[in-house]
Order: sequence, then C-alpha cells, then structure tokens
Amino acid sequence: MKNLQYIISMTALLLFGAACTKFVAYDPQEDYQITANDYLKTADDFNKMTIGVYSPLQWLYANPVIGDVASDNAVSGGENATDVVGLQQIDDYQVNPNNFYLSEAWKSCYEGINRANYLHENKAKLDFAGKDALIGEVYFLRAYYYFELVRMFGDVPLFVEKRLTASDSRKFARAPKADVYKQIELDLNNAIKDLPAVNTQKGRVTRYAAQALLGKVLLYQNKFDAAAATLETVVNGPFQLVTNFSDIFLQSGENGAESVFEIQYSNISPFYDWSNPGRGQGNLAVQMCGVRNLAGTSPYGQGWSINLPTKELANAYAAGDRRKAVTILDIEAYKTANPAFNISYLVAPYKNTGLYNQKYHPRKGETSGQVELNYLNNYRTIRYADVLLMAAEANNRAATPNDTKAQGYLNRVRERAFGNKLQNITSTGATLRQAIWDERRLELAMEGDRFFDLVRTGLAATKITGFKANKNEVFPIPQQEVDISGLTQNAGY
Amino acid sequence: MEKALKKFALLSFLIMLGLTSWSQDKTAAGKVVDPSGLPVSKATILVKGTNAGTSTNEMGMFSLTVPLSAKTIVVSSVGFETKEVSIAAGMMNIALESSSSNLDEVVVVGYGVQKVTKVSGAVSTVKGSDIEKLKPVRAEDALQGRASGVTVVSNGSPGAKPTVLVRGIPSYTGTDPVVVVDGAIQTLDDFNAINPADIESVNVLKDAATTAIYGVKGGNGVIVVTTKTGRKNQKTEITYSGNYAMQEVLNQIGVLNASEYAAIVNEGSVTSGGSLVFPNLSGLGAGTNWQDQIFKQAPLQSHTVAARGGSDKMAYFLSGGYLAQEGIVGGGEKSYFNRINATSNLSFDLSSKLKFITNTTYTNIKGAGVPENAINSVISNALNFDPTVSVLNNTPNTYGKYSTSKYILSEIINPLTQLEDTYNRNNTSKLYGKLELQYDLLKNLKLSSRFGYTNTDVTGKNFTPLSFYGVSHINSTMNADGTPKPGSHNNVYEYKTNYFNYTFENFANYNFKVGQNHNFETVAGFSMARVTGNSLNGSRQDVPFNSWSFADISSATGIATLSGIDLGSYQYERRNLSYFGRVDYDFSDKYLVSGTLRRDGSFAFGDNNKFANFFSGSLGWVVTQEDFFKVGFIDYLKIRGSYGITGNENVNPQYQRISTLLYAYGLGQNAGYSFGNEPTSVGATIASFKNDDLKWEEQAQLNAGFDIRFFNNKFSFSGDYFRKDISGLLFTPTLSLYLGTASLPTANIGTTQTSGVDMNLGYTDQLSKNFRISTNLTFTKATNLVTETNNGLITGGGYGIPFQSVTRFEKDKSPGYFYGFKTDGLFQTQADIAKHASQPGAQAGDIRFVDINGDGKIDGDDRTDIGNPFPDFTMGWNLTLEYKGFDFNSFVYASVGNEVYRAYERNLAMTNKFRSVLGRWTGSGSTNESTNPRYSFIDANNNTRVSDRYVEDGSFLKIKNLQLGYNFSSAALRRANISKLRIYAQARNAFTFTKYTGFDPEISGGIFDTGMDRGAYPQARSFAIGLDLKF
Repeated sequence: MKNLQYIISMTALLLFGAACTKFVAYDPQEDYQITANDYLKTADDFNKMTIGVYSPLQWLYANPVIGDVASDNAVSGGENATDVVGLQQIDDYQVNPNNFYLSEAWKSCYEGINRANYLHENKAKLDFAGKDALIGEVYFLRAYYYFELVRMFGDVPLFVEKRLTASDSRKFARAPKADVYKQIELDLNNAIKDLPAVNTQKGRVTRYAAQALLGKVLLYQNKFDAAAATLETVVNGPFQLVTNFSDIFLQSGENGAESVFEIQYSNISPFYDWSNPGRGQGNLAVQMCGVRNLAGTSPYGQGWSINLPTKELANAYAAGDRRKAVTILDIEAYKTANPAFNISYLVAPYKNTGLYNQKYHPRKGETSGQVELNYLNNYRTIRYADVLLMAAEANNRAATPNDTKAQGYLNRVRERAFGNKLQNITSTGATLRQAIWDERRLELAMEGDRFFDLVRTGLAATKITGFKANKNEVFPIPQQEVDISGLTQNAGY
Repeated sequence: MEKALKKFALLSFLIMLGLTSWSQDKTAAGKVVDPSGLPVSKATILVKGTNAGTSTNEMGMFSLTVPLSAKTIVVSSVGFETKEVSIAAGMMNIALESSSSNLDEVVVVGYGVQKVTKVSGAVSTVKGSDIEKLKPVRAEDALQGRASGVTVVSNGSPGAKPTVLVRGIPSYTGTDPVVVVDGAIQTLDDFNAINPADIESVNVLKDAATTAIYGVKGGNGVIVVTTKTGRKNQKTEITYSGNYAMQEVLNQIGVLNASEYAAIVNEGSVTSGGSLVFPNLSGLGAGTNWQDQIFKQAPLQSHTVAARGGSDKMAYFLSGGYLAQEGIVGGGEKSYFNRINATSNLSFDLSSKLKFITNTTYTNIKGAGVPENAINSVISNALNFDPTVSVLNNTPNTYGKYSTSKYILSEIINPLTQLEDTYNRNNTSKLYGKLELQYDLLKNLKLSSRFGYTNTDVTGKNFTPLSFYGVSHINSTMNADGTPKPGSHNNVYEYKTNYFNYTFENFANYNFKVGQNHNFETVAGFSMARVTGNSLNGSRQDVPFNSWSFADISSATGIATLSGIDLGSYQYERRNLSYFGRVDYDFSDKYLVSGTLRRDGSFAFGDNNKFANFFSGSLGWVVTQEDFFKVGFIDYLKIRGSYGITGNENVNPQYQRISTLLYAYGLGQNAGYSFGNEPTSVGATIASFKNDDLKWEEQAQLNAGFDIRFFNNKFSFSGDYFRKDISGLLFTPTLSLYLGTASLPTANIGTTQTSGVDMNLGYTDQLSKNFRISTNLTFTKATNLVTETNNGLITGGGYGIPFQSVTRFEKDKSPGYFYGFKTDGLFQTQADIAKHASQPGAQAGDIRFVDINGDGKIDGDDRTDIGNPFPDFTMGWNLTLEYKGFDFNSFVYASVGNEVYRAYERNLAMTNKFRSVLGRWTGSGSTNESTNPRYSFIDANNNTRVSDRYVEDGSFLKIKNLQLGYNFSSAALRRANISKLRIYAQARNAFTFTKYTGFDPEISGGIFDTGMDRGAYPQARSFAIGLDLKF
C-alpha cells in the first residue's frame, strides 16, 4: 500500500515536470520586441529601413569641422588645450589613433554601410512600386559613406553583400583605395539608373545628387574627362545660384534652388543625451562654432568658440567679395557696427582669432530642448556653386581641356559673389586651374572640403603648417581597429 | 501554475486519507542538569524520530506527553553534547556533558541539511551570533572576513550592495552568488530587505559538491540563509535589541586652498602663454574647503523586537525591525536608507505526518541618494570645485543660495548647489517568503513541496529643477536672474516597477540504512522558477515654482512638449526548469561519498542549446574514526575532495531587434531622419545581433581540503585548495568597429581559471571559571586568470570627459586589470627627451613614459598592465573575550594587494588641484617623481593620460568592529523576568591603516568598476551604543 502511494506520487511529480519543457521556450514577442523576422514584409517597412540608412549622415556632424580645422581655413579653438582634444590634435598636426572625432566618423559610416547592405541583401524579399528608386537612395548613401571613409582614411575594409554579423568581426583587411572608389562608382551609377530627377520629399536623394557626388568622386581620382561629362548633366539640371549669397545659409534657404544635396537636421524632436551628443536630430557642429557667452539682442546665439576661421582666410577675400561677411563673423566689428544689439561676449579663450563661422553660427530660435544639441541647420553638402566649380576644374584638367567652359562656370560663381562681371577670370591653363582652386576655397570656406581639396590637389604640404607629406594625407584609423580587427595603421601613425 | 498547486494539494489530500489511526499516550518527565549539577533551562526534549517535544523550564524541569510506543527521548541544548535517554517511569535525572565543539551541528545544503561531520564538500558558516555582534545594515557585510573563501568589498553608500565574490572571479557577466533564504531562491540585491537580526545562520556553499545541485545558478557560489524559527513547546522568549550610532567621514583628501590654487592656476596660465588669472593673490586666504561643506555627521539606528516560542502543534518566530541610516555625504535630507521589517515564521503540525511551514516577511525601504562615484558626483565636485569663492552667494541680484565660479564653466559645479538641486526618493515594498508542505510518507521518506516567492514594488520620483551654476556655465538652465534659459525646462520623472519571482520546488528526501554501517541520504525532485519585472514610468516638464513640493506629474504643466507626458515601460521574464538528485553515502561515519546530478533548462539559452547537465561527486575520509589512528591530541580529522560542474546563465536571449527610435540614448541605434521641415520621419534599423548557439558558462571545480580539531577540540582548522576552470564564458566582446553600432551579442567566448586557498583557524577555551576566549582567523586567496578570449579583450571601466578606458578583461591577465602607460620619472632636460623614445609633445618637466614594446616611439602600443583592483588575499580576525559580565569583541579585516585607480582628479585648467601639485617639477633636478610633472594649462605631452601615475596601493587593514558589552545579572532582573540585559558600546570602522591617499581604498563595483575611485562614497566611521534585552 505504502509503496503504491510512493510510486503514484513520484510518477505524478515527474510527469508534471516533463510536461513543462515548453516552460523554457522563448519568443521575443513575449517582451513586445519586434525582430528581423517580423520585418521587411511591406513597402512601408522598406521605406522605414531606408530612412534608417539616412540617420548616420546626421552623426557625421563633425566631418565638415574636421575638413576646415585640418586646413588653413580654421583653428580648433575651444575652451583650452584639453577641450575638444581630438580637434586640437587635428589642428596641431599631433593627431593620434585615439581620436574621438575620427573614431565616431569611422563607426558612423560603417553603421550606414551595414544598414545599406541589409536592404541590398533583402531587396528581393518583396516587390512594390517605387522599390528600385528606394534602393537607388540606399546605393547613393552607401557610396556617400564609403567616400567619406576613403577620403579620410585611404584604404578601408570594403564589404557590400550583406549586413555583417558578429562572426564577421576581424574578417576583413583594408581594401585598396582604388577598389573602394570602384565600388563607390558602381553604387552611384546604379543609383543614377533608378533615382528620379526630383523627389517631392525635401532632402531625399535625387539622380542629380548622385551625379554630382559621382562627379566629385571622379575628380578625387583625377578622372577629369568622366567627371566633366557627369557634372555637365548636373550643371544643366534644374538648379540655379541663389542671388543673395547669405540667403543660402538661413533656415529659409534650406533645400533651396541651389541645393543639390543636404544632410537634414531638425529641432522638432529635441534630444537630451549629453553622453552621445551627436545622436539626435540636431546639428552639434552649429553649437560648436558659436561665440562664447554671447548676450544681447542680435540674432546670434552662443556657442563654444570651436572651428574659428583664420585671419588668413579672412584676408583672402578681395574687396567687394560679398561672401566674406557671410562666411566670417568678426564679432568685435559686428558689435561696434550694431550698438543697438547691446552685445557682450567672452573672447574665445583658446586660439582666439576674433572670427567665427557665420555660415553655421548658432541663431536664436533655431534650436529646442537641450539647446546645445538641437540646432536645425542642415549641412549644405553639395551646392550648385560647388558643382559649377567642380565642372570648371574637370574641364580645365581634362585630357582635352575646355578652358572656355571652365571660365564660364567659374565666372558664374564669381559674378554672384561680386554682383558684377568686373572680377571675371580670363586666364587659361594652370593659372585658370589655380584660380578655380582659390575660388573653391572662398566659395566653400567653412563647408568642410578645404582639407580634402588641398590633399587632392597636392597643395596641402605647402599650405598647411605641420602637414607632413606621405603621412597626413589621411588620418589614422581608430586604435581599436588595429587592436581588435588587426588592421594595419596608416603610415606614420 | 495555479493548476500545478491544485494538483499537488489534491495529491497531498489523497495521501492524507491513508493516514493510520491515533495511538494512546504516556508521560515522560525529569530534570536536566549540567556537569556541575546546576539545572539547564531551555534544553530541548524531543521524542526520538518525531518532532514532538518540549523544553525545560528555569529549574531544568520538563514534562512531556509521549505515545505509548515511544522509547527514547533526545535531549539537546546549546553548549552541550546531545544525549539520548530511554524513557523511564517517574522523574528522570539527566546530566549533560559540555561540548566545546558542537559536532552535531548541521549545515543547510541544497534541499536538505547535513551533519557537519558528514559533509565532504566545502562550506563556510557564519552564525547569527556573529552577525548580531557586528550589527550591519546588510548581512553580507557580516560575511567579510568571517566566511573564508568569500571576498566582500563594502560599499559606503547607505544600504548599497557590496561586491561579493565567492572564490574569485569566475565570470565576467556577473559575480553575484545566488542567495537561498529558507530554501527560497533570491538574489544578492534582496539582501537589502533582510534584517540581519533575523538570521540564524549563513552557510556559503563554495565547491561543486555543494553547488552543483543548483546547476546553472550555482556557478558563483550559493549563500544559504536560514532565518530564526521557534521550537515546539518552547516558552515564549521576547528579545529587543537597539543600536544608535553616529557616523562620520574618516579623512579628507588633500586639495589646494584658495591661495595655493590661485598661484598654481597663474603658473599654468603663464607657462601656456596666457596672462595671470589672479593678478592679486593677497586676500584669497584659505578660501572654502568644500569637503567640510558636504560631509555631515549622520545618525544610524536600528531596533529589533522579536518573539519566538511554540506549543505542541506549532512554533513561531515573529520579528519587527526598524533601521534608519542617514548618509554622510549631504546628510539625511538628501541621502538616507530607512527600512522596516516584519517577519512571521510559522510552522504547524497539521497531523503527525503533515507539516505546514509559512515564512513571511514584509519589508519597506525608503531611500534617497546623491550622485556617486562619477565625474559628476557630489564628492568629485567638492574635490574639484573652485576654492576661491565663498560658500554663500554674495553677488547681489543673482539667483541661488550658494556661490558660483566664474572660471569653471563646464562639468564641475558647486557641490552644495548640486546637493540642493538633488531631489529624489524611492519606496520599495517587498513581500517574500515561502509556503511549504512536508509529508512523512514512509519512515525516512519525506515529500516536500515548497513555493518560495518575492514580490517587490518600487515607486520613485526624481526631480531635476532648473539650476543656476554660473552665468556662463554650460549646465546652467537658468539665467543669473533666475529666469529659465530659452528652451530649458525643469522635469519630474516618476516610475513604478514590480518584480515578482517564484520558485516552485517538489522533492523527496529518503534516508535509509543497509545493514548496520551503510547510511544513505538521498534527495530527488524538480524545480520551476520564474522571474518577472515590469515598469511604467513617465516624465513631465514644467513643475510649478521649480519646486520639489510641487514635483509631480499631476501638477506639472508640460507645455514644453507636444504630448505633455513622456511615457516609458518595460517588462521582462526569465524562466528555468530543473531536475535534480543527490545521494550521500557514508560507511560508519568513516568513509563519505556523495554524488549530485542536475538538469537545467533556461529560457535564455539559444534554440540550439536549451538544456544543460551538471554533476558533481565528492569523497571524504574521517581518519580519526579508524582504529589505527592513535594520535592523542587530534580529536577529529577529515580529509575531503570534490569535483564537479556548475554553470552560470547571466545572459539574455539574443535576437535581431528592430529599432524604430527617432533618437537613441546611449548607442547609435536611432533610425529617424527629418526631411525638410517635416516632423521627424520614423525609420527602422537592426539594433542588435543574434546568437542561437548561446549557452551557459560551464565551470569545473576541483576542491581538496581537510578539517581538524585538536587539543580537546579547543583548536579547529579547516583548509581548502580549489581550482575552477570556466569555459564558454558569457560576455559581450569588443568587436571590429566596422560591424557598426548595433548592440553586440553576448556570446560564449573565453575561458578563465581561478585557483586559491581558503583557511579558517579557530580557538575556543574556557581559560578560567570566569574567562572565556573565542577567536577565529580566516584567510582567503584567489588568483584569477583569463586564459582565453575570442577577440582579444574587453575594455570596461574608465573615467573622464572624454572617456578614458582603464580596466580590461584580456587573455593572460587578471580580470579587470588596469591598462595604461608605465611612467619612468620626468624629463629633466631637452637632452633627456632627445635620448628617449620619440614622445610627441614632451617638454622638460613632462612625464617620461616607458617604451614597453621598444619600437622607439611612445604610442598606444606601449600601454600595459599597471595594476590589479582585486586583493591578493584577505584576512579576517575575530576575537571575543568574556569575563564575568563583560564581553569584548573585535574584528579586524585586512585586504592585501588591491590597487586603486585615482580617477577623481578632473584636471581641467580651472578646476582645483591636488596637493601633489605643490611638489611639481619646476626646473631641472627639482623632482623626478612621475606623480609631479610640471604644471601648465597646455598639456601637449598628455601627462594626464591613463598611467601608473594614478595607481596606488590600496592594501588596507581596517578595525571594522570594536565592541565592549556588559551583562547585568541580578535578582531584581530575574524577578522582572528579564533573562538578559546587556549594554554595549561599539565602534565600526574605527581605524583604517592604508597608504591610499583617497577617502577609502575599499571601492566596490563590478569587475570593471571595483577599485576605480571616481569619488566613491567612503565608508563611515561610527560610534554606537546599544542595548540587548531578553524576557
């Protein structure tokens, strides 16, 4: 009897236990988590994921700052030698592989590439109207990220087939620059094939944006004939130079008639995270370049006195060049000229030049939430004026130069700058080439291309103090990629 | 679950129907005396083989109704050998023998108890009486130095969790041992809710033989807490104990006073090409010592009232406790830990075979805290803030009670303003306990069904007011006149979180003999466990009047955001299913053999690895039981050995999560984008990686040890050697940056090896009639080594803005070691620099870093091992002396070889400096100390990089407890029925002997944060008086 009880009860307990193995199964839906298995089933999913490929563009806010600080256009500034150390090092040509800004650029670009690859990898999952154009945007963005990488770091790991998984860590070596450029061209040509000429949503990539970027990429490879041909299409596109140069950089000028491609920022969804300040919708570079403790009733807001234009840049503008005042804010002169504003400010405490970046200077009412992090200013990535100057250069440097065309494009830019034709350039050949390069500096100063232009044209060593040839053409890759990924560091770092 | 319970209840009911009928009774009565013939009160009398019993009265007398069939009673009392006596008619006279070592002591192991003499595994025990002496806020603090093999790094913050390591650092993902309270599984975090005064004993299960029955939860060791219970037929005993202490900080860190600060700042500015910041040094004087301003004397008090006893069918233990601790940083208004406990442990004999036990504890904790151990902590601000400004704001027409600095414009703020603007509170209500049925199905076959639970409700609120830290300070959200800056808003955040955990366990214990000498104790069963948590939280801006008094979501207006209220929520759940069994065998108490098996399923493991098996085996040999063993002075000798496998499941399921966030805090996983002037478009991206192969960490542990008692049991010694090999280590790796910014997956990578020695030496003696000594020395040593990582290393803790990483988890190194540059004095001359490996930016007076890899240049590759935050060994020495009514207890704890990284120095141009700067390099030959480079605002050499300049030896010896008590004993007290009245004075942390220059070298945290002093909350010194009363 007792043994029977024992057997029955033990059997019951064991059976009960055995029935419960599903007790330890798990589905992320229990925790209301959406996973990859639930996604890319509708056109809307594809659209959302494509938007996700755009996001890392915003994280690249410091790239234009680097492009000027590393050049003869600007100094790092900041509060002191230990403020924004990464930018100080870039400015002083003491850059090392542990550089916050360089490592952020690297990570952000590769996040963008992985996001793009995921759509490339899964594009066959669903067919819907407009898919090709959407994937065209993705290819443009992937090309953009690779281009940022290749011009900053030279040879970089290259992968296009899929979003990497954890097991792909350490699997890649640095691909030769030429291969990276080849892929960028391929992506852009694919994008051009499918992208529409205009996109109703402002800020979306268009065919012209892809062609303009392709022209730039070709120029960086000294493929001038191809560049000239590609850029010609954009020159003849629906763009025009905005009459009043200063209008371009106002909020009202965003995505305007001259805009070929802009990285979009916004203050509508304010962001508050100080530990990852560039991961919201705002443009932190704007806060960086403002005058410190600026008070008074002027339209300008205050900032951190970083990325200060040099006096040398200011002096490079000829008398009558309307771009000078738009590019450079001489705060003391401005204060004197506008006593009604009752301006007071703190002189930049480190590397003061008295000059500030007017194009992107903080303006009151253009931020929200945590004010430093949420400036709405778009980064004017490619303007029509840039396209004209690139086209001018390509024509001047082509196998069969067309200097007439080059002059024409150059002078369109100059006529807008001076408001007359008196300053037009009539030279040809190498003189014209130099004039185009000088014009690029003046037209695009504080827009982030100067350093790369100097490197591309071989003038960096003569123009930039501290620049060492055969080393400083590229920045060091992040130390972690040497430590963890086993990549070789750039020479000299 | 409910279904399962019903099933079991039904089953139990059916079994009860088969109960046999009642038998007739008789009486057993007698008197119990000690060797000198004096009566022994409160001795326990039990009918052998049953739980029926009583206890003796003040005169040593007892009377007990027993079944006619009963033949023997068992008499036991603390301090005496247990005696079995045949029941005789009339008054029995029973004389007990004293026992100085209680060989009948039992230890509580998984799903059962074992006599100490039969244990062949490794277990450390701390008795309730030792815990009572220390009167800690959290019971783990009583394990420090008392339980060998356990390393405890205490935390100074009121009520905060210490680091607890059982036998070293086996794992990277979590080192907390599992906590089992009266059989119900909890976590180390739950210790905050346990009143240490309610604890009867703590057993720490250390080796695989004892932990394998907990399988995947046992890898970090098991802390088994047994709370007090009443005994049947025990006369009611009421105790009160109260303790009131005043706490204070032990020391201050040397920072510059105002004049020194101004002079150094001037020098820094001039050497970097600037002008004098303070043209006139006179009149600055000493300025403000901010440490004086933030540290307060703070009270700590605790009171416990408890009652225990029982009737012939039930036993009870009831306890109520109150503890209130104020923080020494900022005082009780901003930092406190208040706890109320109510415990009721009841057991009922529903029938002679069926027993029902219910333990229930309700705890309420109210707390508030200040920012700790970070660059923005109150302590960090006090150390780094401008000493030249006054305490109070004396600038007319500016906002704020306290002063501001016109020089420090970011990161560092006035610590008093910070304290004033710190508003938070939390309220935790916890109900935990167990319901347990025990049924004696057969003689020696007991079925148990136990439901252990913990329900925790936490509510809290944080208020971030608009603050003014100075006109140009970037953290100011107000203008100088107190008006909000454009776009700035105050904010109130509220949260409600519920955690509910249960463990439902069913098991059978069957003990039997084969022949005379073969004794078997077995257990088998299964367990289901579920852990859940869910939270709802919300925040709203624009609290009226910028005031804590109105800080509530209901009163905030929230006009600043479109939705008014920002809501958030989360929920999680963990589930485990386990089967287990154990056989303990002994031959005549001489040869011991034990084997354990456990099969564990975890919801967290990947689809390819849902279940895991764990086992262990152990052997013991009681040499003193052998006839041939004839060494007179050795009373007892046992040699033990065990080997087994346990695990660790500190992991979450890994899957490819889709994120649709507009912006993401902490990581680059946001997927929004703002086209034109449209509202931000929602995007999507893969935000995490997956890993279907994820499984448990597997830990193989070997243990060899022995226990010996000699010289009439006056001395005891236990020594254990262990070695743990851990494979499939769970951690988040550092992977290639080109994978992007999605969260990296936890994976089974890496192995570690830990080996060490635990020792415990005890001596107890009655030196004379009135003088008794009891002392105990523990020694704990564990050496940890990472033997394999898949992808190189993990970087962990660090400090500063920008963040500098310091601690690492790397192959061939100790976990959490400090990684940085080694220094080699200072460059005295330009010629020194020329001779040295190329070190960009170096000038005379700068630190010379060592070219570790010898490549002729100083760069990131020259970083190396510069310290280990974990001690080489720790020791605890506990001494109790009793003389007549006096008793004295001291406890000394030493930690040797632990290093501290001094990370509280901010080093901005205008932040305050530390006194070492006064010995800075001022010219060739002035100093060659790496800690004293030249001072300049511009630090092209980066003298402040992570280097051994900031690493200090944190070895320490602390007198953790000193206590002197007196027991009153008089006829008057006895007449008042007071059996014990003791008053005492106590000093906790009275002295610390260390070379460390910071506050406290004991800095708790995880593997990556232990030993990182970013302004850690120091432990307080406290002086207390107390009263123990027993009726």
